[in-house]
This record gives sequence, structure tokens and C-alpha cells, in this order.
Amino acid sequence: MNDTEQLIKDALGQLAERTPHPGPTLNALRRKRKRQRNNIFLIATAGMAAVVVLIFAGVIASDRYAPPNANDAAAALTPGGTGSLKYQPHWLPDGFAEALRAAHDGSTARVWVPADASPEAPHADGPRIQLASGQSYEGGTSQWQDTTVRGLKARVQVNGGTAVVEWKAQDTLFVQVQDVGDPRETAMRVADSVRADSDTNFQAPFTWKGKSADEFSGSSPSDWRAKATVAEIEVGVTSRTPNYSGAPTTPVTARGKQGVVVDGRVVAVQEGSLWITAISYGATKPVDELVAAVNAVEIASNFDTGWIRKK
Amino acid sequence: MAEQVTPLLRYATVLTCDPHLAQDVVQEVLLRAQQKWDRIGSVDLPNAYVKRMVTNEYLSWRRRRAAKDVALCMTTLESVTPPVADKTHHYDEREAMLQRIAKLPRKQRAAVVLRYYENYEDSEIAQMLGCAEGTVRSHISRALATLRLDHTPEPAGVGLRLGEGLS
Repeated sequence: MNDTEQLIKDALGQLAERTPHPGPTLNALRRKRKRQRNNIFLIATAGMAAVVVLIFAGVIASDRYAPPNANDAAAALTPGGTGSLKYQPHWLPDGFAEALRAAHDGSTARVWVPADASPEAPHADGPRIQLASGQSYEGGTSQWQDTTVRGLKARVQVNGGTAVVEWKAQDTLFVQVQDVGDPRETAMRVADSVRADSDTNFQAPFTWKGKSADEFSGSSPSDWRAKATVAEIEVGVTSRTPNYSGAPTTPVTARGKQGVVVDGRVVAVQEGSLWITAISYGATKPVDELVAAVNAVEIASNFDTGWIRKK
Repeated sequence: MAEQVTPLLRYATVLTCDPHLAQDVVQEVLLRAQQKWDRIGSVDLPNAYVKRMVTNEYLSWRRRRAAKDVALCMTTLESVTPPVADKTHHYDEREAMLQRIAKLPRKQRAAVVLRYYENYEDSEIAQMLGCAEGTVRSHISRALATLRLDHTPEPAGVGLRLGEGLS
């Protein structure tokens, strides 16, 4: 082993000494397990919880609340970022509908799930089909096998119920199929149907500090959420009333309105029919920083949600 | 449970170069593992399987953006566990090397961690990363070339001569 390799070993050993205590991770796991057990109960009480949140937010109690209008500086609408998603599959299994679009640094991703799947389906286990461009597939544990996609050199791997086909056209592309019939056959058929498409765009519903939202998903055109993450803060805009029942909440002023701080790590405020949130991602950020993040969100004046859950 | 979580956290910390991201990755993986434990518990080496899940989670596109934004911020590392005071030249070299490792492309970094921290063979790394052994060797070779290129140690005795000049 030469000096460089020894130094690498020493450096990694030193990094390992900074491993965090397992306590916070174990506590978070316990909390989430408990939350999962309570899911059914939470669904049943969602309506009531929404009312509680509305009361906390002061939406009902405050006489000052009014929906945003065109003259309200705080609600000034600006154009969101738009970019081409570049590629479109022309075949998908029956019943699949688009549920997520993402664009970041030249990479794009689109996800289709069964039309009646839950809002979380694009990120969850279960049937899903993803088309990504501008990036290689970085996962999987199986060996790649050579194949072709419309005459182009390609490779495929199958790992349990998941198959991935990767090939290089103008960009590197991959199709990932999870928990759908014969995943390899489905992935190959979807990949064979992919064509360049300049008409399908990613329209970000908001910008934040000059950065467009980079992920947009939903379960219907009227039930969606978009998010952007920078430096451990995830900023989101959603049409869905968040459910914070059971979590400790305190009032806070954001965007000139009364919002809530949830569990010390989420700030949420309602603006018109939308909710704007900032979540501390990783280390807990000061509430002031989360409020500033919420204040910096600029909602786009015109964005399309008609693609959500459409084949 | 803590005995099982700590090695995973340690591995994730070295892999991500970020203790906060490591906590996040391990937490998400363990939640998923619990949901699928019937299946995972039946494989030959469930712990290795979970470690592979951590690797995949780190390499997945969903994590790419977040990790890119926070990878190895030394102030972040030090806010969690401040490094023990160590004024030796070797300590500085290790810190500098850590910074360089953190800038490696993710697959190269993962290959380096598996080779030099986990002491895995090429075949084991290939299995973990889902690629061919030749690809593993290529990742490590490129990583070493980058790390060597950046590794320009001070000429021997420079510090001593400065010290002598000041005294």
C-alpha cells in the first residue's frame, strides 16, 4: 500500500470517528413506526385535523385573512422555470398515468403509476415506471446484460421485481420498471417506445431564490405538490392541506400572515388555496431561517397541472 | 437495536461524508427494511443486504440533489462531532484528503470507501455497486489518479525552516 492509499485509509478512519450517536435515528424510527401504526386512525380523523390546522393558522379566526389578489405585493406572481422533458414513451401498460416530473441540472425524470395509486406512489414501493434522461442509472445489485433499444446499444438488469434498461441516444436514458408483470419485458417495451419530444415541458409552480422547483408530483390536477431543496431546507408548495395532527405546533408570522411552526422543524402558511412549507432537512434550522425560506417563495402565475395522472 | 444501527451509521457517514445525510439515509432505509423484513430476513446475509440498501439509497437519483448540496461541509461535520485537536502535519493531510475524497464522483467515492474503509475485494464491490469488476477497478483507478494529482505534499523541512527563521 502506497502513501496515498494509506492516507485515504487514515482519512476515512478519521471521518468514521465523527459518526453521529444512534439516539436521534432510533428516536426518529420509533416516531415514524408509531405514525405508520396510526395511519388508519389519522386518515379517519384527517378532516378534523385539517380544521385544527386551519384554526392554528388563524385562517378562520383572523379577520385580516384574505385570499391573495393581483395588487397584493406578498402574493406577486412570477413566471416559474420551464424546461423540456425531451422524451416521451409512446407505450405504457394499461392503467398507468403520469404522477411525477422532475428536472435538475440537465437531468429529467418522469414517473407513471397506476391511475388510482396514492399520492405517495411515485416515491414508494409498488408498481411504478420511471423514464430518466441525462443521467445513468446508479443503483441495482445485479449484473448488466447487453441488449439493444431500437438498434442502439443498451444494457438491462433485473433485480427481483425491478428491471432497468439503460441506453444512449442523444442523452443517456434509462427506464426503470418496478412491480409490473414481467418487469424486463415491460421495461424493454417502454424503452422501445421512447421518442424525442420537444412538446412536453416541466413547468415549475414556484421559484425560490432564483431556483425553480425541481420536482412536481400529484394524484390529480387539483391535488399536487412541488418542492425544491437547497442546503438542507426543502421548500414546498402544495394544494393539499397538510396534516400535522399530533405534532406540537406554535403560531408564526410568514408572508405577512399567520402560519404555524410544527415540531420546531416545519413552517407552513396558507396563501389562497395553496400551502407553502419549509422543512428543515437534516440538521434543524432556526425557525427564522425557515420563515425566511417561506417568504422567498415566488409562485408562478401560470403552470400546467393537467398532465397529472394523465397517460 | 443501537448495536445494529451504529455500524450502518458509521458506514453511511463515511460514504456520504455528511453525518446529517447519513442519519437521514439510514433512517429511510431502516424504515423500508422493516416493511419488507419478511423478505430481507430470509436472505443469507440480511445485514449485508441492508448495507447494500444504504449504498443504493445514497446513489439513487432522489438523493443526488440533496447530497450534492451538502456533501462534506466541514462545518457541518464539526458541529456534530468536533475533531479532536491535533496539530500535526499528518492531521492536516488527512483533512485535506477528506476534502478531496468528498469531491469525487459518487460511484468513485463509494468504490473508494468500500475498498479502503470496508476492505472489500473488487468482486464484493462490484456486487455492492451493481457493476462489473472491471468498472470497479476503473472507478478506483480514476479516483486514485485524482487523489494523487491533488496530493502535493509540502517539501520536507519547509515548516522547520520557517520555524528556524522566526526564532
